[in-house]
Amino acid sequence: MKLRILLADDHEIVRRGLRALLEKHEGWEVCGEASDGREAVEKALQLNPDVIIVDVGMPNLNGLDTTRQLLQHDPHFKIIVLTITDSDQVIREALDAGARGFVLKSDAARDLVSAVEALQNKRMFFTPRVNDLVLAGFLEKGQTVSRNEAPKLPTLTAREREITQLLAEGNSSKEVASLLNLSTKTVETHRSNIMRKLSFHSIRDLVVYAIKNNLIQIELPPPPKTPAGPAAA
Amino acid sequence: MTIRILLVDDHPIVRQGLKTLLEGHSDWEVIGEASDGAEAVEKAKDLSPDVMVLDVTMPRMNGLDACRVLRRQYPALEILFVTQHDSPQMMREALEAGARGYVVKSNAARDLLAAVEAVSQHRVFTALHSRTVPELREE
Repeated sequence: MKLRILLADDHEIVRRGLRALLEKHEGWEVCGEASDGREAVEKALQLNPDVIIVDVGMPNLNGLDTTRQLLQHDPHFKIIVLTITDSDQVIREALDAGARGFVLKSDAARDLVSAVEALQNKRMFFTPRVNDLVLAGFLEKGQTVSRNEAPKLPTLTAREREITQLLAEGNSSKEVASLLNLSTKTVETHRSNIMRKLSFHSIRDLVVYAIKNNLIQIELPPPPKTPAGPAAA
Repeated sequence: MTIRILLVDDHPIVRQGLKTLLEGHSDWEVIGEASDGAEAVEKAKDLSPDVMVLDVTMPRMNGLDACRVLRRQYPALEILFVTQHDSPQMMREALEAGARGYVVKSNAARDLLAAVEAVSQHRVFTALHSRTVPELREE
């Protein structure tokens, strides 16, 4: 029987690349694709895949909260988190959320097949770079990553994190209400609670918070002009 | 006539995705790949592509700097940016650097074929995502 894989990434071009990579492996099939976290949860519940590959930086519902929601629905889901960010915080959050694999997007062509194989064999997989980071953190701080550590967003509920991401992405309360099938009044209440809990006074504070806590990701432009020419190569 | 394309992006998985898309077109050939701007400049010399599909943010030499070098050295080469940056300012900078095309990565599957078609005929092709940088809403 084939191993069925669900891919969740907001870039179709990345999904194409991942699909091409995974389908070269005999006995594996990509059973579905999702372009954001919410769609990933829906499709996972419909398709019941063996492995789910989830990008961290997705709109509407980021990959870390997607992982949390998926495992709330079914703790047996096997999830690999795929990310452009190799920050200690993202690694900790991914582990805390319950991901069983962590692969950097830049290393995906090399590591993703090994990661899926590991999960297929009921093991976990972390890229060598991630192992190095975790080890460095262990040596520096004298402690290892623990699932019992306090999460980075201790004061926000899952619903509040979802709403924070949607507001930080530029949605109005009305739009958030529509996306989450809630009343505008309910969203407004959540919004007030979020602002109060975090002691924020403006949506700008919330955007900064969302970026710092990986609820949304931004790509910075390259630094201003560097000396061009063969010497710069 | 076959259009010979060089793909430049620091993520192999993105190059793979672009390649599967471009190779669906019978008259186009992906003749090589590079993972940063400096390697793109080297490979352009060796492979003489007709079109280069170039990312902006890359290690060693970014796409904008590579584009400036390439335009000086190979005036016939057409450069098409495929980038994460959904920004009119970045698009302007790319065109000023000498690119003929600009496509946002999130829409690449939709826009890339038309963009390569256009730039290979020395026409300009630019497309930003419909959702621009979010406005900050104070309610």
